[in-house]
Amino acid sequence: MTVRFLPPNLVNQIAAGEVVERPASVVKELVENALDAGASHVDVTMNDGGRSRIVVADDGCGMDDRELALAVERHATSKLPDDDLTKIGFFGFRGEALPSIGAVARLTITSRTQDAPSAWYIRIEGGRREGPVPTPHPAGTRVEVRDLFYATPARLKFLKTARTELNHAVDTIERLAMANPTVAFTLMADGRTRLSLEVEDGDLFDARLARLGAIMGKDFVPNAVKVEADRGGMRLTGYAGVPTYNRGNALAQHMFVNGRPVRDRLLQGVVRRAYQDFLASNRYPYLALFLDVLPREVDVNVHPAKAEVRFRDAGQVRGLIIGALKHALAEAGHQASTTASDAALGAMTPGTLPPRPSQSLFDVARAGQAPLQETGLAEDQTTYDDAPTAVVFDPKTDNGADGDYPLGVARAQVHETYIVAQTEDGLVIVDQHAAHERLVYERMKAMLADTGVARQLLLLPEVVDLDEAAAQCLAARADELAELGLVLEAFGDGAVMIREVPALLGDTDVQGLVKDLADELADFGEALTLQDKMADVCGTMACHGSIRAGRRLGGPEMNALLREMEHTPHAGQCNHGRPTYVTLKLTDIEKLFGRR
Amino acid sequence: MKLVIERSALLKSLGHVQSVVERRTTIPILSNVRLDAANGSLSLNATDMDLEIVESTAAEVGQKGEITAPAHTLYDIVRKLPDGAQVELAFGGEGQLTLTSGRSRFQLACLPVDDFPALASGDFSHTFSLSATDLRSLIDRTRFAISTEETRYYLNGIYLHGTDSDGVDVLRTVATDGHRLARVELPLPDGAAGMPGTIVPRKAVSEVRKLIEEAEGDVMVSVSDAKIRFSIGDTVLTSKLIDGTFPDYERVIPTGNDKVMEMDCKTLSKAVDRVSAISSEKSRSIKLNMEKGLVTLSASSPENGSAVEEVEASYDAGQLEIGFNSRYLLDIMQQIEGDAARFTMADSASPTVIRDVSDGSAVYVLMPMRV
Ligand SMILES: Nc1ncnc2c1ncn2[C@@H]1O[C@H](COP(=O)(O)OP(=O)(O)O)[C@@H](O)[C@H]1O
Ligand SMILES: [Mg+2]
Repeated sequence: MTVRFLPPNLVNQIAAGEVVERPASVVKELVENALDAGASHVDVTMNDGGRSRIVVADDGCGMDDRELALAVERHATSKLPDDDLTKIGFFGFRGEALPSIGAVARLTITSRTQDAPSAWYIRIEGGRREGPVPTPHPAGTRVEVRDLFYATPARLKFLKTARTELNHAVDTIERLAMANPTVAFTLMADGRTRLSLEVEDGDLFDARLARLGAIMGKDFVPNAVKVEADRGGMRLTGYAGVPTYNRGNALAQHMFVNGRPVRDRLLQGVVRRAYQDFLASNRYPYLALFLDVLPREVDVNVHPAKAEVRFRDAGQVRGLIIGALKHALAEAGHQASTTASDAALGAMTPGTLPPRPSQSLFDVARAGQAPLQETGLAEDQTTYDDAPTAVVFDPKTDNGADGDYPLGVARAQVHETYIVAQTEDGLVIVDQHAAHERLVYERMKAMLADTGVARQLLLLPEVVDLDEAAAQCLAARADELAELGLVLEAFGDGAVMIREVPALLGDTDVQGLVKDLADELADFGEALTLQDKMADVCGTMACHGSIRAGRRLGGPEMNALLREMEHTPHAGQCNHGRPTYVTLKLTDIEKLFGRR
Repeated sequence: MKLVIERSALLKSLGHVQSVVERRTTIPILSNVRLDAANGSLSLNATDMDLEIVESTAAEVGQKGEITAPAHTLYDIVRKLPDGAQVELAFGGEGQLTLTSGRSRFQLACLPVDDFPALASGDFSHTFSLSATDLRSLIDRTRFAISTEETRYYLNGIYLHGTDSDGVDVLRTVATDGHRLARVELPLPDGAAGMPGTIVPRKAVSEVRKLIEEAEGDVMVSVSDAKIRFSIGDTVLTSKLIDGTFPDYERVIPTGNDKVMEMDCKTLSKAVDRVSAISSEKSRSIKLNMEKGLVTLSASSPENGSAVEEVEASYDAGQLEIGFNSRYLLDIMQQIEGDAARFTMADSASPTVIRDVSDGSAVYVLMPMRV
């Protein structure tokens, strides 16, 4: 065997394997270059999911002929002027993207600096360079990539459908656009405008919020609270959605470190912690957080294409984010309040059926407790103004003796959310929504197995606006959804029209149901069939067909719910694994009062 | 303030106003009724910020004045006083209202009238009068279809508006929950021409309905873009309107349905009621199979079994099977006062139109189910 240096084009192809994974990675590199060049408008064009053509045009600083020739050479960059890897202030610094793209596709670049008399044009194909030659072009840079991976057919095989590749690119651009609200972005895909984001102005917070609204949906704007915190040279800013504005997956959680979109496991865990008192475990908030740290505190050099970062002090970052989020949420007045003591809750046992280890008594206790902000005691007072109410009804109208029923006889509804029932030897507190959800779910499953789900046709079909990917995803599964009782069809781009709904949901919030389902489907990915995930889908539907927390129930209604729970398997847990009721034995109550 | 009033008169007025007061409110003054005594009458006023009621009733006013007191408590007390009792209400400015009747005496905590919110009255662009009977019929035959789903807030009320119906000017009410729709119309009263379309919220509908239960004579209705006011005798009920756009309902009322079935309404109701006893709890589906002269109702559920009942009908448009939510069907049957109901249908997946054969003023549209 002979050891030798590889020819440069092969080196570049190997490097391309790292940098250029799919069309979206080309888009990422080129858009980052445009942003690094100080562009205020970035226009992306894609054909055939980027496979046949990607064009990124900007109005940034441009390159002269000498720079242009260098730019396509390996490890040539203008972005590390001091040769100091601890001072990365741009997206780029490796000088790898353009040569890598040039090695696997047909690349042309046209560029003109602001005051140059003419633009220059260069062409790379199969590693061979032509130019630079002068050509007319306005100031700025236009990079065109044709026939991606024509030189490496093996890669080509790994590409997904044009639609999927395009969606990845949309994702990439949206994330970069969130971090750069003062830059306008457009994306044309096969002649159709897929994204059009105008320059947002105002101060950074306003501009950002407007841009986030333009991307995450305009509902985000009124539902977002400002996040702002500094600690030890780190600064966290951004917006967090209030807990009641949530969705079924984590796709709307965005984090940026020094303006660079990152995907980090750290974020998800941290967000969960901050929201844990307000959100069920399968619900996720919307948020976009921007962390600015000194470049030396963070290593972005982990992997060229992966959006991973490594912090010198991850613990401190975590602390900063949790603290800032909790503070922002508390300010928003969404603290849960409680008057029950730990002791009382500690004595309660979750509903009979398998109390899984993850829902320990502590979870039950924690769920009811306000996170105490050290500095927030003064604000906490306000929660007491909201006087607790109980609707008690006349026991004389009760049916049967208490002892006949395991779940007892309803005595009162408190906070329009919980049913308090008296049993022979204690009391039961039922979470009305969770319990009802379980019942609807079990009914739905039974119906599915027996006769199929009866569907109510809608007199007024409902149009639900979604993002384009979600709409496509739902429409693609229309047949499967129809079996579960939901009949829909695509309605233009980015919307679906609902024509029939599962009859047992009654007069229900169709919009909310469909949005949640879309989130869920996005999580399943392409491989799973709905049948595999039927439990989840039924669960989501059941959730929408259930009595909400906050609805007042009459005595007979409460008792009917209790009786049905007794006859339904698994009624002790809701579909999310939380208990639907807890019991407190008389002996425990006596203990609480020191009578034992 | 000091006045004496007959218990029954006070009870009646309190009964009207307290029902507007929400039991659960975080703003204390909203639990109170505003009492205003002057010129031989007592005026009572309550609000939940969206809906306001003012009622006046004759009283012997010794000293005029005004105060607010807890509405439900006051109502409760007066309700428990013996029939025929005289009630004295006095407020001397010490923060407590004194209620005396016979040998009973109550002191009630009060709040000053200054804090009591008033629905800024504003101008009403149109005013017309309507007999209580007509208003009852406009409400009763539509309210069952009001949606309770809060996310579609614009369906959480009755759409009251003036329009042209086959060349006749009519006043119309429409309600729908997206599964069924009810539309009732009467000749347009004087003064209503050109009125804005108004979506009257469910609570206002139910309060005004209570007030006209016993009322005879006319009800004055005033509307603006944002409010509606009903004046019934000595009672004035003012409500904010639902700020939204009612869907273009005309589009969903089919005009070309050609399969006509007529049958006795009571017979059908009873049969539906019986057969649906078997259908599953929540979906309550029932099938109608129509053949010449005969409708066969059927239902089945995995838990309960199955049921079939035949009903005679006049029908001759080819065999057709349609599924419906039995509860929706019963709701509509209940609105029909005449003997016979007329169903006009296209097929098993399109809206069915139901009318009272003897009364053209109401139209009901019901969307089928697939079972
Ligand atoms: N859109 C652009 N506008 C101006 N200069 C650019 C543009 N794209 C690339 N360049 C120049 O080409 C160089 C090489 O780009 P690239 O291969 O992406 O490496 P890097 O971005 O890591 O420096 C950049 O350092 C920059 O000087
Ligand atoms: Mg670069």
